[in-house]
Amino acid sequence: MHFGFQTVTEEERREKIYQVFENVAKKYDVMNDSMTLGIHRVWKDILVHKMNPCPGTLLLDVAGGTGDIAFRFINYVRSVRQRQLQRKLKHHQNLSWQEIFESYQKDEFNSLGDSQVVVCDINREMLKVGKQKAEHLGYSEGLSWVLGNAEELPFDDDKFDVYTIAFGIRNVTRIDLALQEAYRVLKPGGRFLCLEFSHVSNPLLSRLYDLYSFQVIPVLGEVIAGDWRSYQYLVESIRQFPPQEELKVMIEDAGFFKVDYENLNFGIVAIHSGFKL
Amino acid sequence: MWCLSGLFGSRVGPALYPLLRVVSKGNQQYPPLRALQASAVLRRASDEHKKEPLASSSQQHFDSPPAGHQPEQKPQGPHPSYTGQGGQESEDYESEEQLQHRILTAALEFVPEHGWTAEAIAEGAKTLGLSVAAAGMFRSDGSELILHFVSECNSKLSELLQKEQKLVQLGEAEKKPIDEFLRDAVEARLRMLIPYIEKWPQALSILLLPRNIPSSLNLLTSMIDDIWHYAGDQSTDFNWYTRRAVLTGIYNTTELVMMQDSSPGFEDTWRFLGNRVADAMAMSSTASQVQSTGEAVVQGLMGAAVTIKNLAGLNQRR
Repeated sequence: MHFGFQTVTEEERREKIYQVFENVAKKYDVMNDSMTLGIHRVWKDILVHKMNPCPGTLLLDVAGGTGDIAFRFINYVRSVRQRQLQRKLKHHQNLSWQEIFESYQKDEFNSLGDSQVVVCDINREMLKVGKQKAEHLGYSEGLSWVLGNAEELPFDDDKFDVYTIAFGIRNVTRIDLALQEAYRVLKPGGRFLCLEFSHVSNPLLSRLYDLYSFQVIPVLGEVIAGDWRSYQYLVESIRQFPPQEELKVMIEDAGFFKVDYENLNFGIVAIHSGFKL
Repeated sequence: MWCLSGLFGSRVGPALYPLLRVVSKGNQQYPPLRALQASAVLRRASDEHKKEPLASSSQQHFDSPPAGHQPEQKPQGPHPSYTGQGGQESEDYESEEQLQHRILTAALEFVPEHGWTAEAIAEGAKTLGLSVAAAGMFRSDGSELILHFVSECNSKLSELLQKEQKLVQLGEAEKKPIDEFLRDAVEARLRMLIPYIEKWPQALSILLLPRNIPSSLNLLTSMIDDIWHYAGDQSTDFNWYTRRAVLTGIYNTTELVMMQDSSPGFEDTWRFLGNRVADAMAMSSTASQVQSTGEAVVQGLMGAAVTIKNLAGLNQRR
């Protein structure tokens, strides 16, 4: 088993990764911004846009730690719901104010349209940071925080509409198990989305990227988070992760159909998508 | 198509793969076969005859009892679908395309309410027992839904014209004169838009997006071809193009008139259609008149030229 460029057993790997994220949890968001120069926000936005969730969607965000995808999902669904309600009101402009008030009571105009997101992470520290962030930013309804392992999810079969894992599958020790679990908990017709660092094929860009990764990022890690090793692990793990086509085959092996991937920034990041059909 | 549906059928465990390679020598072009597993939704082709709605997902699984537990890698002994021997695998499971087809057909019901959008597709997927996320298989602007609808309408028109032609051949109906035939065909086709007429302008604008123009143009021209074929058009000369251009013009303009027609039963539109077809008929006779007039004029000019040459003494032979 590999931990970055080291070789370790599976158990050791899980432990080491747990410690990495325990250490970085508090500075996770700050480090993301400084390493990617804020571009990770765009990547996550693109992921949620690609998902295009409609109100009533049940999302499982695995390795969702600090809640970035969950918050974006809620914002998106909220605005879609607003538009839906506006269109409904336009149709029903002959309702009396009493009828409108009654429909509030019946909760017909709920702002999220019954959408829900479950944030699942293996690391307690990351979930803590996520919960604090949610409070701070004012997200309350539609969110649930669950401690769980992607290789063995504590959920029942056929439950979720969408399963996302953003920058998390790289840290899973047995990727095939995680993919099988994803298949299991998704409803038929459900969608699997994976946002992850991937391989850059362009040679010039690849050299620049390598330079940046190995020379700049661990230094930033030391300066900002006081933790060189964790960020060294991070850039090494990116190199060890299977490239786009290989991951696509793995996803197909787990049973997903219509598996496809979209490269962002020339392959620095890729979004893989599959459907449980 | 058969190799494509092979891709989408069930998959074979990695252990069997070397065995299959020996068996299927001619199939090196296939990508690696996938792990054997029950597909959650893609139905066996035989089930389609029973027309069972895909109500509860777990009920439709082919191997596991609906007790809730889905073993991940269950070898599919009795299913010969993915033998890799060519030809056999296409029959057993419906392909992804057929499933998409079903979802789009189900989605049409929700178009009057939601428009030609991903929401309508999501609602359609829901009625089939799928998650709303299945709408992610299609583009978010709804263009695939519209193209599906147009292609369905064209098929229906084709069937209708074929039936009529059969009746004429059997002698049970009179062969219609050409203008009446065209008028009825275009009217029948446009009537199929009536349930969706409110959202049709949106659909037209989406069909005009550069990305969709090749497909929408293709559908339009094949429909016009169809109509002329059943009208008995056998020409292979220049007239073929003019006839199609004329009918395309008639169809498009009538469609646009229909969009903003508020008369009862769209009678204004049908009157407009009748007038345009009459114009087209008159135009073709005018065209032949113009041609013969043109020929006469040319002959007159030739005659005048010869006369002048004679007068000038240029035609004399010595």
